[in-house]
Amino acid sequence: MNKSVNNIINALGGTTKLANLLGVNPSAVSNYRQKGFPARLHLKIIALCEEFSIPIDNDFIDKSKIPLKVIKSNSNEFLTHKSNSIMSSLSSDGYQLIDPPILVPADKVIDRLGETIVDRLFIFSQKDGIRLCLRPDLTIPTCLYYLDQGFDGEKKLYSYFGKVFQFYDEEENEPTEFTQTGIESIGDQDSLNADVEVFVKIYNALKKEGINNFKTYFGDVSLFQEFINVLDIPELWKKSLLEKFWNEDEFKILLDEISKKNINNDKFAERVYSLDIESALELVRGTINSSDGSFFAGRSLEEITDRLRKKGESYSLKPLSDSTKKLITEFLSIKDTPSLAISGLRKLCKSLDRSLLNKIDEVEKRFEIINSNGVDFNNAIFGAEKGRDVEYYSGFLYDFAWNNNNESIYIGGGGRYDDLIKLLGSENRIPAVGAALNLKKVERISQIESL
Amino acid sequence: MSKIKVGLPSKGRIQEEMNNFLTSAGIDVKKDGGQRTYVGSFSNFEGFEIRFLSANEIAKELNSGNLHLGLTGLDLIRELDSKDSSNVIPLLELGFSRADVIAAVPNSWIDVSNMKDLADVSRDFVRLHDRRLRVATKFQNLTRNFFIKNNVNNFRIVESIGSTEGSPSAGTAEMITDITSSGKTLEENNLKILDDGIILKSEACIFASINEKWNEIELENIQKFLRVLSAKSMAISHIELTFNCHKKIDNLELNIFREYEGFFLNNFFEAGDNVSLIVPNNNSSLCSEYLISLGYGPIKINKPEFIYQNNNDAWNRLASVIF
Repeated sequence: MNKSVNNIINALGGTTKLANLLGVNPSAVSNYRQKGFPARLHLKIIALCEEFSIPIDNDFIDKSKIPLKVIKSNSNEFLTHKSNSIMSSLSSDGYQLIDPPILVPADKVIDRLGETIVDRLFIFSQKDGIRLCLRPDLTIPTCLYYLDQGFDGEKKLYSYFGKVFQFYDEEENEPTEFTQTGIESIGDQDSLNADVEVFVKIYNALKKEGINNFKTYFGDVSLFQEFINVLDIPELWKKSLLEKFWNEDEFKILLDEISKKNINNDKFAERVYSLDIESALELVRGTINSSDGSFFAGRSLEEITDRLRKKGESYSLKPLSDSTKKLITEFLSIKDTPSLAISGLRKLCKSLDRSLLNKIDEVEKRFEIINSNGVDFNNAIFGAEKGRDVEYYSGFLYDFAWNNNNESIYIGGGGRYDDLIKLLGSENRIPAVGAALNLKKVERISQIESL
Repeated sequence: MSKIKVGLPSKGRIQEEMNNFLTSAGIDVKKDGGQRTYVGSFSNFEGFEIRFLSANEIAKELNSGNLHLGLTGLDLIRELDSKDSSNVIPLLELGFSRADVIAAVPNSWIDVSNMKDLADVSRDFVRLHDRRLRVATKFQNLTRNFFIKNNVNNFRIVESIGSTEGSPSAGTAEMITDITSSGKTLEENNLKILDDGIILKSEACIFASINEKWNEIELENIQKFLRVLSAKSMAISHIELTFNCHKKIDNLELNIFREYEGFFLNNFFEAGDNVSLIVPNNNSSLCSEYLISLGYGPIKINKPEFIYQNNNDAWNRLASVIF
């Protein structure tokens, strides 16, 4: 006999009454008396207890599992108080609540997020062969929604709430669908203002729910881009360093490569570089024809020649000096509280071009404005390297992590993505910034904090 | 006791080569009820129920635990199971249907010879063409893992059902990954294999599925079956050198094992004994020369029919996961 379960069943009016309430057979309820409530009914039972003001004896379910407070929303969907409350703070101040598409073209998602995402997508084909997927996040669907409304640069503020779908490893024991809520500010030309507004809004939404012990980890990928641009190194190295920034391993390899004199020079590439462009094209064309490569398969003669010339050029360039290599490494390793990180950056870059220092000033100013909106940075970090793992952001970015003992739970994050909408099909580059929270994680944390 | 369900290929090159192998091993495959049915048994091994399936289906059925054993290509198993913790384990390499899964690009890409070049080009490609480089393949998982391991991140997989090698010239992809034994069809289609573009070396193997129930079958039958197959595949891949060991040389056994992976059938031998040495096929001439240089000879070379070993490795592998 399970005492606490029996108490609840009796308090709710006995076997038959509860069977009616739950829409199950009375014999099933008799079973619960012996074995306890099945996990799928926990939410309902808690909701019923709340409705009839019955105190819940915590023994009846494993607390770590699903001790959520439940209310019934208008949309007939179970939503917790917390989720509801976060949603309503996000959809205020003119942030229109929208319902972006759940099914999105898989190719657009894969093109944007890369082939590595495929393992985590639920993909299927339409009858006409076009591949669709369940949305893995809500930013891309929101941008598609924006474009679908016929907008092309107009300022729009959106909020959303809904399920997203991603496969996870079984070992990680994560759900394959979870609820995300967030906001996106699209088309605001005042980037500084939009950056601050979106951050403060999402930050306050968390604070308002009494979630305090989270760490904010800031970054700004445009700062690194400006840093590389003002270095006194060949354009070719700049381009390569910026491109490889997104992949830490590749970046390291490149940095080592361009810091030492290459000995395995490709003689053919050197020759192509030494010629004027017309003769170079002629030489490459001739070589391709004689090697029986009669077709070009997607890459033009100019493209292949250009790459060979760059290879050739790279052999002729002076290797990166040790001091420059050290400077780049030190820049990327800066990671501290925002104010210390900024003074560290200033010190490191003081002899570099003024435009970089202006950029650092901008970053500092943004922190100041955020701070003046009531956000403190007691639990914040700024990293010069932050954001390189997601080739998605184009400027300011951040994420929130909640730490408890050894456990670090990612709650959400956001940032600026000025290139995304153009890649999804708009004519123009449209500035955009957004942030989102994983509600399941938020719930879990608020439970742990309230214990 | 239930029957041991074993999947054998029902068509293609792998079936022909399997038939030759089994015939030479003295294993007789019977189709129940005539040539057109898809079930059968071995006339000289009891307790097996053969299902004739395509090599592809065998891989899938092993993975979902509908077969105990299956004979299929390593490429197909690896493609199914991209994770390390596998449900399908290889018991025995059979040495036939050898082929490589490779990455190949058009000959005209004279600036691309290895995966590092490809990483570079794929990155440029997105910038220049506003889309990712397309890779046509039947091996989506193998390709994705291999490319990502080699820092090639900017690509798109285009699933191909047949004649993958034609995709670049047809314009449906820029490059391919495919399985090839000679590389001839690649050449004919103006494609070249990247220097470090070998994704997997494949051959026909016997696999076991750890998802299937193993507790209600006669394991002794499997043990015997695997022993015969091992003996045959060992014999196919090795040759025997016999000669008179008229003098003893220090460390002879050790040197031959280290240099030529050879081992003597004689447990002990003394000067003047006739000895029998087993060596992998491709080391036979080098090993013979070495023996001659030491002053031995004449050496007679025989092709063995079977080589039975004390250890039944294939069986041990199976036993280690099912017990």
